[in-house]
Amino acid sequence: MTHPAINVRCFRFDPETDSEPRFQDYRVPLQDGKMSVLDCLNHIREHFDPGLAYFKNCQLGFCQRCSLRVNGKVAMACETPASGDLVLEPVNANEVIRDLWCKST
Amino acid sequence: MSAELYEREIACDVLVVGSEGAGGPAAINAARAGLDVLIVSKGKMGRCGASQMAGADFNLDGRSAIALGLPGDDRDSPERFFADLVREGFYLGNQRIIEAYVEYAARNTADLLEWGMPVYRFEQVHAEEMARGIITSGVRWVRVLRRKVREMDIPVLEDTMMVDLLTREGRVIGAVALDLRSGEIVLITARAVVLCTGGWQQAYYFNSAAADLTGDGQAMAFRAGAEMIGMEMVQYIPATMLWPPMARKSILPYIMMETEVGPLIQMLNGEGERFMQRYDPSTLEQSTKEIVAIASEMEVQEGRGTPHGGVYFALKHLTPDGVDFVWNKFTEFLDQNDDKRSEFRKLLPHLLETAKTQDLEVGNAVHFMVGGVKVNERTETDVPGLYAAGECSGGLWGSVRVASATTQVGAQGRIAGEACPEYVKSVEHTEPDKAQLEAIVERINAPMQRREGASPIEIMERMHGVTDEYLRVIRDGEGLENAYDELSWLRREEAARLHVSASRTRRLNYEWQLCLELENMLLCLEMSALASLKREESRGGFYRRDFPYTDNDRWCVNTVISNRDCEPALRLEEPVVTSMPPPSGRMTFEEAVAEGTASLRRGEVDEP
Repeated sequence: MTHPAINVRCFRFDPETDSEPRFQDYRVPLQDGKMSVLDCLNHIREHFDPGLAYFKNCQLGFCQRCSLRVNGKVAMACETPASGDLVLEPVNANEVIRDLWCKST
Repeated sequence: MSAELYEREIACDVLVVGSEGAGGPAAINAARAGLDVLIVSKGKMGRCGASQMAGADFNLDGRSAIALGLPGDDRDSPERFFADLVREGFYLGNQRIIEAYVEYAARNTADLLEWGMPVYRFEQVHAEEMARGIITSGVRWVRVLRRKVREMDIPVLEDTMMVDLLTREGRVIGAVALDLRSGEIVLITARAVVLCTGGWQQAYYFNSAAADLTGDGQAMAFRAGAEMIGMEMVQYIPATMLWPPMARKSILPYIMMETEVGPLIQMLNGEGERFMQRYDPSTLEQSTKEIVAIASEMEVQEGRGTPHGGVYFALKHLTPDGVDFVWNKFTEFLDQNDDKRSEFRKLLPHLLETAKTQDLEVGNAVHFMVGGVKVNERTETDVPGLYAAGECSGGLWGSVRVASATTQVGAQGRIAGEACPEYVKSVEHTEPDKAQLEAIVERINAPMQRREGASPIEIMERMHGVTDEYLRVIRDGEGLENAYDELSWLRREEAARLHVSASRTRRLNYEWQLCLELENMLLCLEMSALASLKREESRGGFYRRDFPYTDNDRWCVNTVISNRDCEPALRLEEPVVTSMPPPSGRMTFEEAVAEGTASLRRGEVDEP
């Protein structure tokens, strides 16, 4: 059974080696059950790019550390459903350690 | 010491590895004794590990509860609580450790109440015949500990993974850590180390734990020469959300089954049959956790599972009004608790709405590690200077955890904090052995330096494949032999050639961290498979399809694993008995469970 795929556009930045941030696009297939934004990031890391930096811990809203800008709005990645295309950015692009992980994460 | 080996060096009296339910009280109590304490946490304090996700309930016997102003049952006593724990753990528990658990359960509760932990209710949990449960919230609990640690100015090194212990002449003298944010290697010299690192749940694809739990404490203790006990005893929790992905690993359905609305819920197999009618017709879904888990798995193995390999949690037999009734009742229960966790606020309404038209897929998740680093009642390991408290330790529960883990971690954390000062005052800081330090640093850096080798993500998938196939609720000799062979191969051959493929930055490099964690998880799994293969019987939470009976004549013994030339070597050891000698004879698993859990049967309160 094939499922529709969504486009996930991720903010990528390594302040030590990159002069400026860039965006990278990934196609993530949706499953036949509801997925979270964090599930999409896990899929990208496990299938396309293990170098992507983002935060994951409890996956169920306890630790409250996986906040991101999802399509411009700050939200917890594990609590936010992924139903259409996504643009994922760090909460504060000025204090990024790497990719989606900020100093305040 | 060569400055090239590490970037930072810190000295302390006591190094506490892990910052939550066990680590917090260990650090607080060691600091109260005037020691210079450092906490190192793989995450951020109050936002990592197992404790935040706890239900949470703390256990306390009725008489001790009354002494703390809680509505306990005066027929209960510490002695009775002790006897229940020994019997329900099927006599494998170390009775000195159980005595300490019962005694420190009260002290730990008193501490938490004094530090401001809210108590919602005092009631029956874990199906005990008398109320022994203090109901609170895991998140509120860990925040209370964090506040106390901050008040006492105990330093916490966050987002830092402890990699290995340093030893000299058989004593632990410090440890080496990796700062995950900066990639810096940190040398910590300490006069004593307390491990509070939790279990190795992440070694299993379907688990109910936070990402931190990768067996770091057990593995580093083993490498330092400490023994493990009861590694085959793994607790599974039935009725954990399996699908959809967004809800995966939530134990919400299980929690609901434990509340007042529990009897309204049915569990169905893939064919829509209420299968518990065949396994436990009297109590059905309200049977013990272990029986429900075995029954659920039996259905899946016999081809009657759901599309994603589980069973159904069903409310569809109720009308939409019936589901609303469940919702209202459960909301009342939640309102009493004032527990605003996201699982309740966001996930639950969605799941209940779905349940009106569609059954939910649930399964058995790896939930808690019953065995671990072998300790005594003072949380001391066999290695001088090394202590282990909470889930990473073994010996308390015997063959199944029958009471609250939150109480265990708090009680043993405090015991460790009280026990280590005497030792700390008897030893001096010791300079690390250069060759040992070099070997550890080399091991840390190796996956970053190899140009080719095994991919950590691929090895993780293979490891999950092995655990998913063979290390399940229902085990058998052939499967366990396969598991042991494959895991030993993965650990000896593949883990030794892991390499970081995508990014060579030292900062927040997930693949690099995973390489180090895989070595720990594979070691824990190999020890668990070895001990499972050895135990030719079924007991408590441990079930062998090829040996479906509890054999007290041969198997009322613990498996102990020691480090023989860096390889696990297993022996059997009689349990420590103080006042309750183990029974004799052999009975079927079902008979043993019925006898062992006689006091847990719901609605049957026998007079003492």
